[in-house]
Amino acid sequence: MSFFRFSLPDFAFAFLSILLEGVPFLLLGALLSGVIEEFLPARTMLRFLPRNTFLGIAMSAGMGLIFPMCECGVVPVIRRLLSKGLPLSNAIAYMLASPIVNPVVILSTLAAFSGQSAIEMTGLRVGVGYLVAIIAAGAVHQLSIRTVLRDDVAAKVLQPALEGERGGPMLLRFGRAVRVSVSDFLDVMVYFVFGVAISACFSTGVNQEYILPLALNDWLATFSLMGLAVILSLCSTSDAFIAATFTTFPMVAKLAFLVFGPMVDLKLLFIYSAVFKKRFVLGLAVGLFILVGLICVRLTVVHL
Amino acid sequence: MTAVIQRGITAGILIVWGILLTYFYTSGRVAAYLSPTFQPWTLAAGIVLLVLAIMVWFSPAAITSGDAPSLARSLGGTIFTGIVLTIPLILATIVSPSQFGASTVLNRGLVSDANALPNYKPPVEPALPTQDGSPGADTAASPYIPRNASGQIRAETVDLIYAAEEKSLRADFENKEVEMIGQFMPAKTNNAKGDRFSLVRMYMVCCAADARPTAVTIQMDPPVKMEEMSWVRVVGTATFPVEGGRVIPLVVAKSVQPCDPPEEAMIY
Repeated sequence: MSFFRFSLPDFAFAFLSILLEGVPFLLLGALLSGVIEEFLPARTMLRFLPRNTFLGIAMSAGMGLIFPMCECGVVPVIRRLLSKGLPLSNAIAYMLASPIVNPVVILSTLAAFSGQSAIEMTGLRVGVGYLVAIIAAGAVHQLSIRTVLRDDVAAKVLQPALEGERGGPMLLRFGRAVRVSVSDFLDVMVYFVFGVAISACFSTGVNQEYILPLALNDWLATFSLMGLAVILSLCSTSDAFIAATFTTFPMVAKLAFLVFGPMVDLKLLFIYSAVFKKRFVLGLAVGLFILVGLICVRLTVVHL
Repeated sequence: MTAVIQRGITAGILIVWGILLTYFYTSGRVAAYLSPTFQPWTLAAGIVLLVLAIMVWFSPAAITSGDAPSLARSLGGTIFTGIVLTIPLILATIVSPSQFGASTVLNRGLVSDANALPNYKPPVEPALPTQDGSPGADTAASPYIPRNASGQIRAETVDLIYAAEEKSLRADFENKEVEMIGQFMPAKTNNAKGDRFSLVRMYMVCCAADARPTAVTIQMDPPVKMEEMSWVRVVGTATFPVEGGRVIPLVVAKSVQPCDPPEEAMIY
């Protein structure tokens, strides 16, 4: 059988199913972003974050435990948080960690791996996800805002909205929040639709038998499952149920799938482009691919 | 004027999405696309989008006023956004058959081993003792097994796949008459005599994009030929022979008839 075989009806079916699954969460994120924009005074968050950069990043990476967001919904939220004065490195830490370090994902991973070292796998998923988010955020801290953010986003971050604009009767403020939510929703949706289309194309067209022989080698298994995570673009709340079925693959490869997938996949690459420069998105994806892969392969040595 | 057009397009996009999400839920079509956990969210999102569309339309200012670094800031951008967000959605809704064809099923590979199924938990061996200390009884006692009017067990592909893996479950099906509904797929392997085919049902965890084709081998003498991925009703005896070093589910069929798709084509 050939490596790739395309079927338009199958593509349309998968395309719709991912859209139907993702849109409610994306909408939730957009609604939250409208509320943040209108009702959260600029730089309020800075009062609650530690002054120390590392502690600030570490705290932001753990915020998903209190404010859980999935990988689709978190992007409009961090865009608004950035414009409200949240430091870029903290935003990256929250964006990368919150789809993993959150209660829903922890519980679903525990359930999915029940009977397959569930506690170890869940602990490692959360731990490695948290660690990788902190390392990535630390690296981003060294970069200037203009090299990371799209020009229009950077301009808004560097010149935050005047507080005076945000007053007025509650009904007016509510209307403004709705406008921002709709605008953010449409913006991110354009990228989401492109990402979902590519993901649906690969997830229905690629013959997955070609991936199975890679399971025999730890290195190949780890990196190939990360590649599969990119193609499948699964939601982090349910990806563990899929990973648990890769019975021929070593545990470290499944771990890499579970850590890398919620941070980088085809739909996310497009959604990230709504906030970040394309070069940065590419660099982030490659950097995370190498970092997660190396950490997970290293865990093989300690006999996971 | 431009602001009014932009507002109209924006409200139009939201209306299209709102109507389609609501339609998928109310028509029941969503069952083919999402697991039950996610289905109510489509209705909620559809209603919220329709409310937002009304609010945008009656909003005094253009929503594309520069609050966000929006693609829709200009009229051209708004039109582009409108095309990208509505045309593919509408086309996909029309083209999508609400089930996968043979191409994707073959690309994903047929699953007939319980260990390759999401949510499968290996049994606790030996069985846990009951309150009085006696060994655990069969949890799938026969009164709980659904039967048709003829008394045949109504089995799903996953029931027999699980039974092949678990001895306690196997007793409920082995050498008993079962009725199964699934999609016809010619057997590609272990079919030297040409009298076997696979009965396929898609098993979904979260959404159809992650669905896995579960399959039970059916043996029918004389061999039957049906259209690939067409729905068939099989009546026969469930057996669990050892082939290739492992127990496999095999139904020795006495009848194979074409039938309508079940109300829920997916197994959750």
